[in-house]
Amino acid sequence: MNLTRRNFLKAASIAAASVPLSKVAAKAESGVVKAPLVAPGTFKNTQTAVGGVCEMCFWRCQLVGKIRDGRLIKLEGNPKSIDNGVSLCARGNAGVKLLYDPDRLKYPLKNVGKRGAPKWQRISWEEALDTCGSKLKAIVDQHGAKGIAMFPHGSTATYPMGFLENTVGTHNVSEASFFQCRGIRDTAYIATIGLPPNEDVDMANAKVMFFLGNHLGENVHVSHLKRYLKGLENGAKLVVVDPRYSAAAAKSHIWVQIRPGTDTAFLLAIMNYLIQNKKYNAEFVQKHGEGFDKMAEGIKGWTLEKAAQECDVPAAQIKEVAELLAANMPNVSIHPGRHVSWYGNDFQRQRALACLTGLLGAFGVKGGFVQPKGPKGLAKVGWPKGEHKEESLREMADVHHYSPPGTPTDLIRDTAITGKPYPIKGCVIWGQNPIQTIPNQEKTIKMLEQMDFVMCVDVMPTDITMYADILLPDTSYLERYDMIKTGTQWDFATEHKQYIAPRMPLVAPGFERKESIWITNEIAKRMGYGDKIPVQSQEEAINKMLAGAELSIDKIKAEDGIHIQPGKDPYGEMELTVLFHNQEVEDNGYPGIPTYIPVERAPEGYCRLLYGRSPVHTFNRSQNNAWLMAENDDSPVWINDKLAAKLGLKEGDKIALVNQDGVKSRTTTKVKVTPGIRQDCVYMYHGFGSMNPELTIGVGKGIDDQSLITKLAVDPETGAHGMRNNFVKLVKVS
Amino acid sequence: MQYGMIIDIDRCVGCHACVIACKAEWEVPAQFNRNWVHRLGPSLTSTGMASTYYPGLCNHCKTPSCVPVCPAEPVSFTFKDAKSGKTVTMEVAATWKDPFNGTVQVDRERCIGCGACRDACPYNARYVDEGLKDDNSLGKVDKCTYCMPRVAEGLEPACVQTCLARARIFGDLDDPKSAVAQYVKKGAVGLTSKAVQIGPNGKYFGSKKGDMELLMQAAPQEMPKVSLRRSLLSKMSLTAKNQIKEIGLLGLAGGLLIKSLQDEEK
Repeated sequence: MNLTRRNFLKAASIAAASVPLSKVAAKAESGVVKAPLVAPGTFKNTQTAVGGVCEMCFWRCQLVGKIRDGRLIKLEGNPKSIDNGVSLCARGNAGVKLLYDPDRLKYPLKNVGKRGAPKWQRISWEEALDTCGSKLKAIVDQHGAKGIAMFPHGSTATYPMGFLENTVGTHNVSEASFFQCRGIRDTAYIATIGLPPNEDVDMANAKVMFFLGNHLGENVHVSHLKRYLKGLENGAKLVVVDPRYSAAAAKSHIWVQIRPGTDTAFLLAIMNYLIQNKKYNAEFVQKHGEGFDKMAEGIKGWTLEKAAQECDVPAAQIKEVAELLAANMPNVSIHPGRHVSWYGNDFQRQRALACLTGLLGAFGVKGGFVQPKGPKGLAKVGWPKGEHKEESLREMADVHHYSPPGTPTDLIRDTAITGKPYPIKGCVIWGQNPIQTIPNQEKTIKMLEQMDFVMCVDVMPTDITMYADILLPDTSYLERYDMIKTGTQWDFATEHKQYIAPRMPLVAPGFERKESIWITNEIAKRMGYGDKIPVQSQEEAINKMLAGAELSIDKIKAEDGIHIQPGKDPYGEMELTVLFHNQEVEDNGYPGIPTYIPVERAPEGYCRLLYGRSPVHTFNRSQNNAWLMAENDDSPVWINDKLAAKLGLKEGDKIALVNQDGVKSRTTTKVKVTPGIRQDCVYMYHGFGSMNPELTIGVGKGIDDQSLITKLAVDPETGAHGMRNNFVKLVKVS
Repeated sequence: MQYGMIIDIDRCVGCHACVIACKAEWEVPAQFNRNWVHRLGPSLTSTGMASTYYPGLCNHCKTPSCVPVCPAEPVSFTFKDAKSGKTVTMEVAATWKDPFNGTVQVDRERCIGCGACRDACPYNARYVDEGLKDDNSLGKVDKCTYCMPRVAEGLEPACVQTCLARARIFGDLDDPKSAVAQYVKKGAVGLTSKAVQIGPNGKYFGSKKGDMELLMQAAPQEMPKVSLRRSLLSKMSLTAKNQIKEIGLLGLAGGLLIKSLQDEEK
């Protein structure tokens, strides 16, 4: 950057000439109008399109779009929103770059190469739909509905999933949001309090917030973070249990640097301490608890000292946390977590979290677990359920009794690979990227290779679309109607309001992109289900749903995209029973009280591979977004500074990773040396290292963590994957 | 009046929304930034482990090092106070400090893309988009304007509007009742160091000592070497330029010179 003499002279001479020349040049030019040198801003001379609902992630903030000359130039939070308000996160702001990404799918494509090494030929919709319809019908005719597997994700996949599951009748549907993410949380809470918890903790009004591995700040959901920050502002104490000094740990009052995999032991010791010292909410437990004595008896061995040893944290710190919770109960937010498919012992940990909430009586009270009272009345629209008597793979094997809806991924994948107990020969992938979502990519590819037919529907090319025979271009969330977001004002301490916000298009779809209802219906007709079609378009579906609440798209457009109505007080005693001991769980062959099941520790010379979220990315989905990649296009590996010194690694060193099975990362990344992580683990962002060269920005950036998760762990109660039981070595690359 | 920006790092969660909202609002090319968020740490500080963020942008400094180095032809410019309607006429090059609202602005039309101001800024708050080079310039400089065109319409700066954490507070530092002035009273400070004392009007507040330690380590520790020499040179050339202005034809000669320089680059 230093100025050389020559450069300076150049600059000075230009300066001398600039004024007169500009006048001369302006006249001399050919009449081509140049873009103004200064951007005019998006707030003037633009149109505002209302009714957007974000899908850069799945929190669904409400948007408006600024449009100039028919082109969307900026997204902002809808000023009418009582959820995200005018705010958006980085990803929400960057939706424009997804909409106009030149790498987006534009036309129906046929793979005339091989699965995994595709050669694409543009075909007509007619040909694409005929192929999908006839191939899927042939599979159903030969193998039955169960011969089709589906991997859906997102609201665009809801309708086709209903078609395949309800009407065609296959059980073999696996949603990553359940089996590789939050399904365990939901079924464990249902088995404890009868309700899925979502993330319904009233952090804004809590005295203590308790996070287990929850990395808010790196995990960004706007209204959720508003609650969290409001809690901190109001003076709540924050406890963060994490092997790493996460974004949340950096704002915590107590950071528990726990040994990975031992969280349940930590929770049991806290509960045991509260019980032994009579510091739990006896009144609540008396009124709402069941099986308390059994749990108390069963966990009494979990002394502070025992847990301290297992979790590798000071006993005094566990006590400090327990005392803090006791002193502030019931106004404590025991966060249920979101991505919880960690170690294959996760159902028990999630049960323990629900039981701890019960011990503290933190239900329905300020700062506790509080369910928002959202609007009611929206009608349901969907495919009719046919007469399907066949058992699912899960029922046949009599396993995973607390599975989330659908079928556990490995039951589908193993069945497809072995052909036992039956063949699975058709694969429909809609919005999901199973290469990046499901551990052990080799098995996923084997499953795909044995299929008679694979179709993918997506907005962008991804690693999975490389395996499609037919690849169909979906509309993006900015170009379609497709779901209705409902909720309440984010802070329960303020005036109670409810909102209804259907996703409405801000711009018309480009190229030959089509909405999922149309695609599904056209395939359904060709498979012989034309008479079962419930609606003709997304717009019709939304209007039918809204009619249940005496609303319509037109009405909501007139209300600037969001209907707001008076709400209800969400506080007050909840009608629920906390099953500290669950007899049914025990009868099904699992521990009836929350139980710690140890996991393998890192072998000598290896570190446990932990992963999490980049604040500017949604897994792999945003990995070709020019603005987001400019902010973060790598997944540096966090390594403890002392360990790094031992291994001779320095900040910024280029490395590859090799796991315990000898699998080497396809790409390389850099080392981030920090004291803020334990020595027995390393950490990196999930979702990087795409292999599809059609992602011209994203391909090969950073390392794909999922490629290194080859050793499978399956949570026995739920059948969901545990993805933090793999170990890696760092290999310096020169 | 002096506009200023407070960043409350107690509140900032490091989501980068401010950066992307700015890019969208002002059509900043993907590879450039008018503002940025750097994650600091986790590192050991005097109070133990800490990690925070450095959300940065042009500081619209009291004595901006970027302004005097601009070698562009000065023009007479009349500034108007939005409140009182008072006017001041000054000779300004292609970048200046507004005498009324205290912001530092750029005239891209007259910018010659030399990069002098960019190199003179210890905060790296400016970039030159060489893609915009034309017959008169080697590119165009750009930086945060504190969203003055938005502010003129009664809107918040784009980064402030989108911030979910309300970690960015914008206002008049000279108004003791303003939220920004209150923050300064509470202890918000600019990122200065022994060598860098140019009066930044972007100020940072954090109640944790460790966080502030990390942030102050991120402050520039030296003034760019180019700035002093360049500032001298540009002052010298000013006289020369004033003489040249009198002789219109020399402008054409200058134009030819630029063209030959650009050809040489190719």
